[in-house]
Amino acid sequence: MTAKTPEQITNDLLRPLSGISARYVFWAALLAGIAVAALCAFLYQVYSGLGVSGLRSPVFWGFYITNFVFWIGLSHAGTLISAILRLANATWRRPVTRCAEVITVFALSIGATFPIIHLGRPWLAFFLFPYPSERGLWPNIRSPLLWDFFAINTYLISSVTFLLLPMVPDFALVRDRAAGWKKKIYSALALGWTGTPKQWHRLETAMHIMAIAVIPVAVSVHSIVSWDFAMAPVPMWHSTIFAPYFVAGAIFSGIAALILAMALLRKLLHLEEYLLPIHFENLGKLLLVMSLLWFYFVFAERLTTWYGNEPSEMAVFWVTQHGSYAPLFWAMVSCNFLIPFPLLAIKKLRTITGTAIASFTVVIGMWLERFLIIVPSLSHKYLPYRWGTYRPTWVEITITAGTFCTMVLLYMIFSKIVPVISVWELKAGRHEEPHALRLARQPDQVEAD
Amino acid sequence: MAHQWGMAIDLDRCNGCEACVVACHAENNISTVGEEQAALSRAKHWIRVERYYEGEFPDVRVKFTPVLCQQCDAAPCEPVCPTFASYHTSEGLNGQVYNRCIGTRYCANACPYVVRYFNFYNPIWEKPLQLQLNPDVSVREEGVMEKCTFCVQRIKAREIQAAAEKRELRDGEIQPACVQSCPTRAMVFGDLGDPESEVSRLARSSRATKLLGELGTRPKVNYLPRDSWHDSENA
Amino acid sequence: MERRDFLKISAVAGATAALEGCGNPDHQLIRFVPEEDLIPGIATWKPSICTLCPAGCGLLVRVMAGEAEVVRNGQLGLLKMGLAKKLEGNPAHPINQGKLCPRGQAGLQVTYHPDRIKGPLVRTGRRGSGQFREVGWDEATKQLVQKLSELKASKQEGGLAFVTAPLRGQRKTIIDTFVASFKGLTSIEFAFFDDSVIRAANAASFGHALPPTVDIGTSNYVISFGADFLGTWNSPVAQSLGFGHMRKGRPGQRGKFVQFEQRISQTGASADEWIPVEPGAEGMLALSLAHVIIAENKQLATAAGHAGSLIEGWSLGLPDYAPEKVAAQVGVKPETIARIAREAAAQDPAVALIGDAAVAHTNGLFNALAVNALSALLGSVGKPGGILFASGSSAKPPAASLQSWASEVSSGATAVDVLLLYNANPVFAAPAEWGVQRALEKVPFIASFGSFIDETSALADLILPDHSPLESWLEDTPVSGSAKTVVSVAPPAMNPLHNTRAMADVLLDAAHQLGGDFAKTLPWKTYEEAIQASFAALYKEKGSKTAKDADEFWKKAQEQGGWWSTEPSQVAAVISAGTAVKNSAPQFSGDSSQYPYHFLPFASQLLYDGSLAHLPWMQEVPDPLSTAMWGTWVEINPRTAEKLMIQQGDLVEVVSPNGKLRAPALVSPGIAPDVIAMPVGQGHQNFTRYATGRGANPISILAPANVEGTGSLAWAATRVKLSRVGRGKLILFGGSLSESSPELKHR
Repeated sequence: MTAKTPEQITNDLLRPLSGISARYVFWAALLAGIAVAALCAFLYQVYSGLGVSGLRSPVFWGFYITNFVFWIGLSHAGTLISAILRLANATWRRPVTRCAEVITVFALSIGATFPIIHLGRPWLAFFLFPYPSERGLWPNIRSPLLWDFFAINTYLISSVTFLLLPMVPDFALVRDRAAGWKKKIYSALALGWTGTPKQWHRLETAMHIMAIAVIPVAVSVHSIVSWDFAMAPVPMWHSTIFAPYFVAGAIFSGIAALILAMALLRKLLHLEEYLLPIHFENLGKLLLVMSLLWFYFVFAERLTTWYGNEPSEMAVFWVTQHGSYAPLFWAMVSCNFLIPFPLLAIKKLRTITGTAIASFTVVIGMWLERFLIIVPSLSHKYLPYRWGTYRPTWVEITITAGTFCTMVLLYMIFSKIVPVISVWELKAGRHEEPHALRLARQPDQVEAD
Repeated sequence: MAHQWGMAIDLDRCNGCEACVVACHAENNISTVGEEQAALSRAKHWIRVERYYEGEFPDVRVKFTPVLCQQCDAAPCEPVCPTFASYHTSEGLNGQVYNRCIGTRYCANACPYVVRYFNFYNPIWEKPLQLQLNPDVSVREEGVMEKCTFCVQRIKAREIQAAAEKRELRDGEIQPACVQSCPTRAMVFGDLGDPESEVSRLARSSRATKLLGELGTRPKVNYLPRDSWHDSENA
Repeated sequence: MERRDFLKISAVAGATAALEGCGNPDHQLIRFVPEEDLIPGIATWKPSICTLCPAGCGLLVRVMAGEAEVVRNGQLGLLKMGLAKKLEGNPAHPINQGKLCPRGQAGLQVTYHPDRIKGPLVRTGRRGSGQFREVGWDEATKQLVQKLSELKASKQEGGLAFVTAPLRGQRKTIIDTFVASFKGLTSIEFAFFDDSVIRAANAASFGHALPPTVDIGTSNYVISFGADFLGTWNSPVAQSLGFGHMRKGRPGQRGKFVQFEQRISQTGASADEWIPVEPGAEGMLALSLAHVIIAENKQLATAAGHAGSLIEGWSLGLPDYAPEKVAAQVGVKPETIARIAREAAAQDPAVALIGDAAVAHTNGLFNALAVNALSALLGSVGKPGGILFASGSSAKPPAASLQSWASEVSSGATAVDVLLLYNANPVFAAPAEWGVQRALEKVPFIASFGSFIDETSALADLILPDHSPLESWLEDTPVSGSAKTVVSVAPPAMNPLHNTRAMADVLLDAAHQLGGDFAKTLPWKTYEEAIQASFAALYKEKGSKTAKDADEFWKKAQEQGGWWSTEPSQVAAVISAGTAVKNSAPQFSGDSSQYPYHFLPFASQLLYDGSLAHLPWMQEVPDPLSTAMWGTWVEINPRTAEKLMIQQGDLVEVVSPNGKLRAPALVSPGIAPDVIAMPVGQGHQNFTRYATGRGANPISILAPANVEGTGSLAWAATRVKLSRVGRGKLILFGGSLSESSPELKHR
């Protein structure tokens, strides 16, 4: 592959921002249509009552909380990967980081809507907010749902910051090439960036701090989400494994989502020369590690449960392994391990296509995993007289489909506003030494970019 | 000392007639959900009589256990409610504050006894069935959790009455609707904080057990399992 | 959610329509002047009587002020009135002593039912089309009186028929007097679950044509042959009170309870020993127990007195009933028979009772006589802990049989001009083979006093809706449940919601208008007067320690909910010589090779005989054993289900020689493999929005067999076959049949 000049790089990476094809409009309209249908379904639910969903006694949480955990989990893609890779100074990360961070912000935003969607009285959701109310009460700080509230908000703010910070130089780049109203917008977004060494230094420092800070935040978020389940005395929920299990699963699904996103972007935005097989290879290896880790957690938990033979837990164990949930259970194991393992472990299969297929099955498998954690346990609690079932209705299915479409749509819109690959970081990677350092050493010999 | 309300249910007397179930519906304005919703397991029987078969024909036995909110002293539903809609009162009850409930349903998941019921729709009483509603009990709207309150409206009414008459409450003076109706007198309600009360006496029986007591919920309903003919002892 | 209350300060018709806001039509209604002086929020408790089953428990009704939408003088408006809010047992009442069964609790929903008939109706369309027009009471009564006076003028005998539920007290007197004046039969009493076989047996064995009052509370050993005495049979609340006492009310003493039946009933579920017995073999089993007791010299044969002498072979010690000889026919092992007999004989008091299916076989009377003899042998008849007889009620004159009446009318043998209906729904609750509907078609004029349109009242030409019980004067003399003399009375607990009139008041009004000898035979203007007269007679007979005259007696009785004696009293037995009966084996309709299963209908704890199917609470509260809601089921043994390849919830077709029905299957271990059971109560085709079109009616496929020696329907004598025809719908509240998970069997 011929080496590209900085000018060529900029052109390639900014090209998607101009022009909208008919195909783009078609897909955007389709996705938006389904998203609007989902919104209508939600409004219908608010109007009629939660009865329009398939929830019932004893399965009071179903699709909505599955989606909640799934999307929050998926959000661990960006920030964690991006932060970890930055700190480890893995150079191959450069084209990947923004894709990843964007997934985080959007997935988190979508995930954060579900606690509202699943409420019985969503118009009172503000009760969760700590303010001096006339009820004389603050929210209950002992409730894991409150921890969710704070953790997710913290994570959202951190992720947005972590995303926006490195976008500033690229906004400046677009600003310099834009005209008219676009120029005005990008000027505002660029925050007056001129590329001075001092600004670069500030940016690098800020990103370094954020990279370190965001990791514990990300770990805590999904630990806290896992404690929504682990803190309740429900068979096979009340397990110490939940926090690490969920964090590992989140990273797992996040990497898979990242690979999928990258594979799609590579194809659709013609970024074949930037998103290279080596990226997929490396991410694929990470995915393999996470798949093995996931399998280890599941195996350890199920072995312990089975060996302990506690009756209420065994009821849930058997219903997932042999009973009515067995088809979903084994589908999950296939999607999360049996299919990805050969695709990722065998070097010949660890291609862009291979990792993309593996990622696709992992995304499905991880969604199933959330479902199978929630529903079988709730449907088989301690008193067999109150065992039950769950079946989603069109409302829940539409809203679920709508969130997937919203995710893709948001990504599509983002790709038209901001370069999905961080231009300056990519270029910085092609220099022998960090650009900032060079500037620092020879400020008067700065190259025009 | 503040009262600590509790119950004792003698399963050697209970015959599963479900008078308690209907009495509770009538007293507490529990709406009927109808055939379609009942098929979706959304019927709201604050007290239910669990029925278990054991054995095969002809050696079949049936067990009945009335299950209602156990008003646990270590209730798993209380810490998890983000808005304090589920909380512990000074008299040992698990209170459910309908106005604070935003319907996260975490409490229902956390409750091992599955005694919490959710209003999936606004309740409907086809006129003039609503004329039967008890003015002393709120009507819950959609999105709100509800459950047995040990007929707290009756407890409060009697406490106010006794205070107005400047006297102590008598043991057995307060009877929740289920206790009052039970034809075999299987259910006893009273102050577990008073060692002389009937419910305390029954709680001290060697037959007394707690439902799912091993979970550490510290329930306040004491069950006295069915006895047998030759092994009977002084209750 | 809507805060309507603060809108309700305005009170002028029309002006309120100008109020903006939520557009609630309520504040466009006028307000009527309240008829009562009520303080909102303060409850008063009024006595009443439960009429939903024959037990006759006493109630206390919690009445509070509320606002009802009512029609007065043709105008819709709001009326502040006392409303019944909650029913409790009356603690002072000797039958139920403050307790109340689930059906009694649901009585409120009768008063407030949305489909109650709100005023008199006259048929406009074809009979049965459901087309009626509203008329005033004057016109309605005029029509009734006109038909009756035409009948009187024609001097036709038997031209008036009155079909009612079994009634007691002044209501019965008024109706019977009325009918007698038209030279008709006595009123025709009908209920699917009635006690005529037991009464006949008790009359023969003990000289009391009454159901037994079983003093379970003091007993130490109770053997029940098929009687669901804790759920639906006889006086369930009184019996439950006794049961609780027998179990745990006497420190150091706990009675044993043995139940013999084919299907675990709600009562059988509480038995210390539940032992299946072959259908119809209950009498044989009882005699086998008696044989052991006599043979082992625990009691002399003569101890059973007259009751024993009615059984052939009794004086010889029932040699044909030795356990080994009858074990196969009865289906119980000889060791078990011997052991139970010894246990019962060793306990004092021990008592045996029989009911439900066991007396609904063709040999039901024999079974009842046998069990009576056993009780007599055990020595507890007329003693505490045994069988007593209520003293308030005298023996009933034999009521005319609906079955023979219907057959005579539909065949044309008897011509009936006017049929009056009250509290009975024979088109639903009588076997189709009786031809009740055909008979009704032959009657030119039918008037119904019922509060609801049901299968029978839908065929009426004139509807004169009665008050609901809580709005009525009520009186009752229970025939079981207490050894004291009990005469209940209660004024209405609340004013009528709708434009209804008490049935007895309408009849008395009609009698008054018809004149003639009614002036002497029915001298009262109102039902209240009639009841007061009966209490005056009671005062004269019994006297009173606390009331100084009849008026005070009457007043006190109303406040208390009735009058009852302070001590148990016994009525003298009227023993007539009877001939000894020999064992008769039960006969079943349908060839056993073609129809391999016994069909066992049973009273539903919530729907009873179907007369309560219209109450939403009764549809939604789960059946105690099946946990089914809003539907019906056919109960099948697991082995039978496996053999027929039927799974839980499958739709099955049950076919008898007389009909067929379809219902979902419920697989249950608590039923014999050759028995199929089905609750009575669903399958209404026309009975309010809650019961119509729901499930199937087992009565519709019953064979019209009779209990030998009586005119009663032998409703346990039908055989059926069944097969799977598709997927059905079972709505169960219970998520598991047993406590242990079936999945655990893996280990």
